[in-house]
Amino acid sequence: MAASMPGGVLPYQPWAQELRNRRFADNSKDHPDAHCLPLNPVQLWFHPQPRKLIWNPREIVMIAEANGGVRQIFTDGRPLPNKDDVQPWWYGYSVGKWDGDTLVVDSTGFLDNAWIDEEGSPLTNEAHVTERIRRPNYGTLEVEITVNDPKTYTKPWTVTANQRLMADDELIEFICGENNTSLPHLVGKQ
Amino acid sequence: MKRTAFAVLVAGLIALGTGAPAWAHHSFAAAYDTNNPITVHGVINQVLLRNPHSWFVLDVKDASGKVEQWSFEAGTPSGMIRNGYKPNIIKQGAEVTIKGFRARDASQNRGMLRELTTADGQVYGMFGPQEGPAK
Repeated sequence: MAASMPGGVLPYQPWAQELRNRRFADNSKDHPDAHCLPLNPVQLWFHPQPRKLIWNPREIVMIAEANGGVRQIFTDGRPLPNKDDVQPWWYGYSVGKWDGDTLVVDSTGFLDNAWIDEEGSPLTNEAHVTERIRRPNYGTLEVEITVNDPKTYTKPWTVTANQRLMADDELIEFICGENNTSLPHLVGKQ
Repeated sequence: MKRTAFAVLVAGLIALGTGAPAWAHHSFAAAYDTNNPITVHGVINQVLLRNPHSWFVLDVKDASGKVEQWSFEAGTPSGMIRNGYKPNIIKQGAEVTIKGFRARDASQNRGMLRELTTADGQVYGMFGPQEGPAK
């Protein structure tokens, strides 16, 4: 995640840097993805498996091929709730509205102790994530992601995940838990 | 006014095989030691196109003739299918050589598949057909 940041490092709070280092030193064995659990949306846009966006005027549904996840972005005009008023979700609670040709998605209510990359950069329930999504050309969706989690990072930071349209393909069923035989053999730091 | 649902399928522009290595997104580092490469020659016992990752299971004969089973973890079935792989391309009974990385759990005859070569010289990477050896 830090590769596109100035200096190549996210602006971690000290505890977050330590946690990230510990997770990575442990071979990322506790990454939710390795346990067939959902990817946080910040990482999901970078995942090698595709995702399908289905939209109508009231909501956008993202079906992630990876681990069969379903993320909802409500575009019916409802306000973003306070994080303390919603059950924490793996994908967070998202509302979207249009700013010209850009869909601005605001999200809150993430589960605590999230991972947002392979190395284990954290995200907490304090986070407010903003995605500015635009389509600069037919085949590209540009997703500019800003993470504002003062508990975890000393300042907000932004990365961009470009998506390629897969015009002649479909999602392929991916039931991660059907044969995850590696799970008992994940080895951490020795 | 008729409301129509639209759908598009998108994928990250970091395509399979470029950018982040495939092992990075399934904690392969926790299961396999990339500092411990292995090469195993044997006969296909089974090919499992199952999620989250496919498996190539080999019967491997040692010098004394004793047969041991080795299992190599390959790509996601969806990734392999998109890359042109189909079930039954590599059949039970086929003689193959697999290069990979040993499982960290040394009690297991397991590895991560890096490259599979058939008896007639066809080379497959962890996501299926490719031209030449895995980079």
